[in-house]
Amino acid sequence: MYHTGSFIRGQSLLYNLDPRVKLAATICLSIFILWVKPLMAVVIGIALLFAALASGIHLRTIGQALKPLLFFIVLIFLVHALFNEGDALISIPFFGLSLSYAGLQKGFFVVWRFLCLMIAAILLTLTTAPSQMIVAIKYFLKPLKLLRVPVDDVAVMIMLALRLMPILLTEKEKVETAQKARGYNLRQSGFVIRIKAFLSLTLTIFTGVFRRADELAMAMEARNYQRGERTSLVELKLNSSDYLVLLFLGVFLFIFVALNSHFG
Amino acid sequence: MIILEDVYYKYEPEGIDALRGVSLQMREGEHLALIGPNGCGKTTLIRHLNALLLPTSGKVKVGGCYTNDPTHQAEVRTLVGMVFQNPDNQIVGMTVEEDVAFGPENLRLPTAEIKKRVAEALTRVGIPELACRNIENLSGGEKRLVAIAGVLAMQPRYIALDEPAAFLDPAATKRVLDIIDKLHSEGVGIIHITHNMAEAALTQRIVVMNEGRIYLDGAPREIFRKVEMLKQIGMQLPQITELLMKLQESGLPVRTDIVNMEDALEQIRFLAGKIKD
Repeated sequence: MYHTGSFIRGQSLLYNLDPRVKLAATICLSIFILWVKPLMAVVIGIALLFAALASGIHLRTIGQALKPLLFFIVLIFLVHALFNEGDALISIPFFGLSLSYAGLQKGFFVVWRFLCLMIAAILLTLTTAPSQMIVAIKYFLKPLKLLRVPVDDVAVMIMLALRLMPILLTEKEKVETAQKARGYNLRQSGFVIRIKAFLSLTLTIFTGVFRRADELAMAMEARNYQRGERTSLVELKLNSSDYLVLLFLGVFLFIFVALNSHFG
Repeated sequence: MIILEDVYYKYEPEGIDALRGVSLQMREGEHLALIGPNGCGKTTLIRHLNALLLPTSGKVKVGGCYTNDPTHQAEVRTLVGMVFQNPDNQIVGMTVEEDVAFGPENLRLPTAEIKKRVAEALTRVGIPELACRNIENLSGGEKRLVAIAGVLAMQPRYIALDEPAAFLDPAATKRVLDIIDKLHSEGVGIIHITHNMAEAALTQRIVVMNEGRIYLDGAPREIFRKVEMLKQIGMQLPQITELLMKLQESGLPVRTDIVNMEDALEQIRFLAGKIKD
């Protein structure tokens, strides 16, 4: 099952790249996806899918990851398709809406760009262990140390946030089971009761999580955690494949910049 | 050497004393079981050993450092490792090796040394194959071993464990207790809270606490001889000791200062021999 930030261990080019290269590439690509002309975005999207297949990630996994966003994607498409001016293919008699060819085209490209961004992010999180990602983020934030930003503490905070996510989910399941065990049937109850149940659920989960966070803090202290600089198990080292990918990406992006102005 | 001198502790300034004048000495390499009814101050006591709690009055000295001296806190925490009751509240990393590395990272060791220590710690608890596994996919017993490895990676001289076998099935309990035994034989001092008398009986020394004080302190055989005193605070004897006592009460000539299976078997064989004669 895919869930936010989940990572599948594997052996392929994408997995073995330096996390800094992957993070930088994702950010560059994201900017390009938003910036380039529509047709170029289509090319980037296809390239991303190839990259996924080449590193052994099934399209189904990507589909699973995108599924929760389906409603959002359809909404974006409809808004663009219906609210765009142009020669109406079908006129809808309410609110002056019309479905136009230009609108459909606009909708398609906006959704395409959005999907490209998501796929780039999914590829990054699927092929990079959280610890590697944190070290990469720490590396890029390093200059902020000059401005007295506590970069090491921020890295630990990200790590704890990631750790807390599955804990929150189990806590939620536990409370829900406890409620069900005492005859709480939400399906058959009305709106007000559902809201109440939701409130009691959140409150219980939060008190539970605060208690656990308190104990976790003590356990961290017991292992000598202090704010400030730490070293890391993860070693950052650029090897030949990293340089190759950087070179390839550089050339690729350069061509894009050059071609972009030629596309209408 | 760990030395506690007349330690008092209050969780809140106006509250009652959780510890009331505890004095205790523990040698390096000793295996000590800490038992007592719920709320008697066992957990409070072991949290004093690595400066997680500082005494309201009295002193705790670990290997020559006083725990209330902030300049020695890091040293004390490296000397005494702490394994909490619930590994889920102790594990920080997303994967096994990440979590085991947390301590050495805090000690600011170089990457090569961290890698070495992580591999070493996982081998010592017998789970080197789990290094890359996600914490969420481990069993309760495996999580407990990861928590112990996380402490071992800091190379402590002592390890304090808060009910290391809680919530575990018999097989996992045995696995964890065997590892604790192994660490003891490697020279690590162990102080271990338990509610299981049979588990306590296997150690060198039992300290019984009650209402924030040390109630009894001695070798398992000596402790289990004081049946009345134990019963007064609601503690039970190991089943084997209880069985031999019942046999003695019914007039059979058996010894009752027995805490383990082998000695009990010997007594029963001795008894059977007498009956045959």
